[in-house]
Amino acid sequence: MTDPAAAWGWTAHLRDGGTTPWGQWSGAAQPRGVALPGAQQLELLRRVNLVGRPTSALVEAVLASDPPRRSRPALPLAGGVDFADHGPRPVDPTDLGDNDLTRLAAVLLAQHLATRPLAELQAGWRRPWRIRYHLLGDPEHAAPLRRHLTARGRPPGGYGGRVLVLGTDTGRMLVDLWTAHSFRNGAQPWRDWLTVCVRRGTLPTPLDLHLVARREIDRPVSNRVHVVTDPALAPRLLGVRRGPGLPQPMAASGVDLARRVGAALRPIAPPERRARLLTDLLRPRLADEPGLPLVIPSRHRDWVQDEADRLHRQLERGRYPVHGDPALVLPVGRAGVEAPDVSVTLALAVRLLLETEHQDREEGP
Amino acid sequence: MSRRVLIHVGTPKTGTSHLQDVLFRNRERLREQGVLYPADRFDAHFLAALDLMQLPWGGLEDEAVGAWEALASQVRAHFDAHSDGTAIISHEILATASSGQAQRALASLGHPNTEIHVVLSIRDLVRQIPAEWQENVKHRRELPYARFLAQLRDPARDSAIGSWFWGVQEVPDILDRWAGDLPPDRVHIVTVPRPGGPRDVLWQRFSRTFGLDDLELDVEAERANPSLGVPETTMVRRINIKANKIVPPSAYRPLVRELIAHQTLSRRVESPRLTLPAADHAWVAPLQQKWTDLVRERGYDVIGDLDDLVGAPPPEQYADPDSPDEAQVADAAVDAITALLVENARLFHIEADLRGRLDGAHRELERAYLRPTYRWREKTVRRLQHSRAGRFALRVYRAGRGRSSRSA
Repeated sequence: MTDPAAAWGWTAHLRDGGTTPWGQWSGAAQPRGVALPGAQQLELLRRVNLVGRPTSALVEAVLASDPPRRSRPALPLAGGVDFADHGPRPVDPTDLGDNDLTRLAAVLLAQHLATRPLAELQAGWRRPWRIRYHLLGDPEHAAPLRRHLTARGRPPGGYGGRVLVLGTDTGRMLVDLWTAHSFRNGAQPWRDWLTVCVRRGTLPTPLDLHLVARREIDRPVSNRVHVVTDPALAPRLLGVRRGPGLPQPMAASGVDLARRVGAALRPIAPPERRARLLTDLLRPRLADEPGLPLVIPSRHRDWVQDEADRLHRQLERGRYPVHGDPALVLPVGRAGVEAPDVSVTLALAVRLLLETEHQDREEGP
Repeated sequence: MSRRVLIHVGTPKTGTSHLQDVLFRNRERLREQGVLYPADRFDAHFLAALDLMQLPWGGLEDEAVGAWEALASQVRAHFDAHSDGTAIISHEILATASSGQAQRALASLGHPNTEIHVVLSIRDLVRQIPAEWQENVKHRRELPYARFLAQLRDPARDSAIGSWFWGVQEVPDILDRWAGDLPPDRVHIVTVPRPGGPRDVLWQRFSRTFGLDDLELDVEAERANPSLGVPETTMVRRINIKANKIVPPSAYRPLVRELIAHQTLSRRVESPRLTLPAADHAWVAPLQQKWTDLVRERGYDVIGDLDDLVGAPPPEQYADPDSPDEAQVADAAVDAITALLVENARLFHIEADLRGRLDGAHRELERAYLRPTYRWREKTVRRLQHSRAGRFALRVYRAGRGRSSRSA
């Protein structure tokens, strides 16, 4: 039996900050609007209410949002809406999976992120005596160093420069590459992405340090190529005493959320702006998030070990200087999780949704 | 004064590619006759639909950011410049827009102050279901036909297949989302004729719906989305299983979908056609009847005949794409390999030509290098590059000379 008045009552209750699950609700209210929000929107609002007190702007944004069109559309509330004999079947919100709610939260975070202003890019005056360079290899080590040097008047590029191919242990490099993809375009889920790498049978090109070095050496205008397996040595090779500090791997849930927000941003922000929104605005917030980073799942460890052994042998025989022990590319055992836990990702997304309001208040209209 | 927007929101596989091709190629003629088809590229309305629905589409969404607003602003500008006129928007994936997205789209086009007409072209599910599976296969899907059908039958619709299929094919739900508050005479249902009739009947129906009957247009199709037979579809699905992980979408599109499927295998018209299994007619027929009754009850403007939506009975001999005639699949594979060989031969020819030009350029360069002054200069530059002072001197020299291509 359906009770639209109860459904509108529950909606009003959630608008007022209520947290009662739909199954335990007994109140009623007059309709407010043409159609009830979908079950995903209502349940996400309830989860937000459980954590904090959202402003009316956030409440309305959640209720008016649309799930991404590649997933299930907004679903009618079971018991609140008559099934019209067509369209999606009504559901009880408590039956929704965390994945449904996280997808919707990611859409909301992306929409908010897309409206935020970006600071001017900082670049110090160009030092004429700077060493010209190109940074390749592990993107999670290359990107912060590149930004650090650019801010100090040493942007990459230039005639006759050095090419530094940065690497670290192979398992970490794979996690780093997926992290970089997640912060650029929104990558596939970690397990799917890694499975594709394993099926292809070779390390992704940017992480095959030997291949990258060989390609650079073979270029018609060859630069001086260095492979760096200890990234702490890289700043001195580029003429500066200190670098930005070695990046720590981020919590798995943080990267998983970035991946989802990145995917939701794709249709609403052009690529360059999207990359900066994710890197300059979302990343600093997620970098502080506590939690274990990703590690290679046990079923793929043998493959990673084999690839690391191959790379180690190639680096030892390579006709280019290697800074750091070539054995540093071999896998290292470290604490971590084999895949992100979607419930942790959802909890993080809900906290971020509540934080967006503080940002709006600080930035003003 | 009449300002009309005709927005054609689906459904896929109902002759929409032909219609959009005719509208795009005739857009200047249409404009001269007071009809706006706002598009500067053939897929402009597709990009606008992606933008409206915030739908990722294999990287194309990068080109779509802001495309809906650009399209809507052209429509509004057209009406600002003309006291009356007609604008046409057409893309079949609009069928899956949510109610909120549909309302935002109509508002951006001037609703309720502009006369909005929603057009929905529909075809019987007996043909739509196999056509959608085939379309999925041509978009890299790997799932067998039986599993596709099982996902359509699943009432939860929580698979990507089920969610998409019903989003773009469930006629009553599409009409609820797009035409909920429009009077029935502004909702136009174009039915696709049954197979076997004259070929231009569907175009005549579209022409009547969009008010193009009295206009001079070139209606020859250049762009179409041809269908494949059973062994051909199976062959493409097998290619997907083998090649998806190693062939990027940018190469798949021209090589598999265009070259193999559209240009080669679609010509094999003698092979058995893909149909709906007899067992599935049992649930499809009543569902189709329910939809037809609903369209009739609501009093929409029907162009064509609702009886067109009664699907053909199951064929006497069903060709199962999951257990195909392997000899026919092998034949299709030979055709595909031949097409790839021909394409490869063409590329070899181009490569040889380019290699010849490159070798010529290298020889020219070597002749320049052989001059003694060049060798002396090269040696000097190499020596200077080994010291910081030398590199500084080189930079000063290049800056003084004014060369603009210092950076490699």
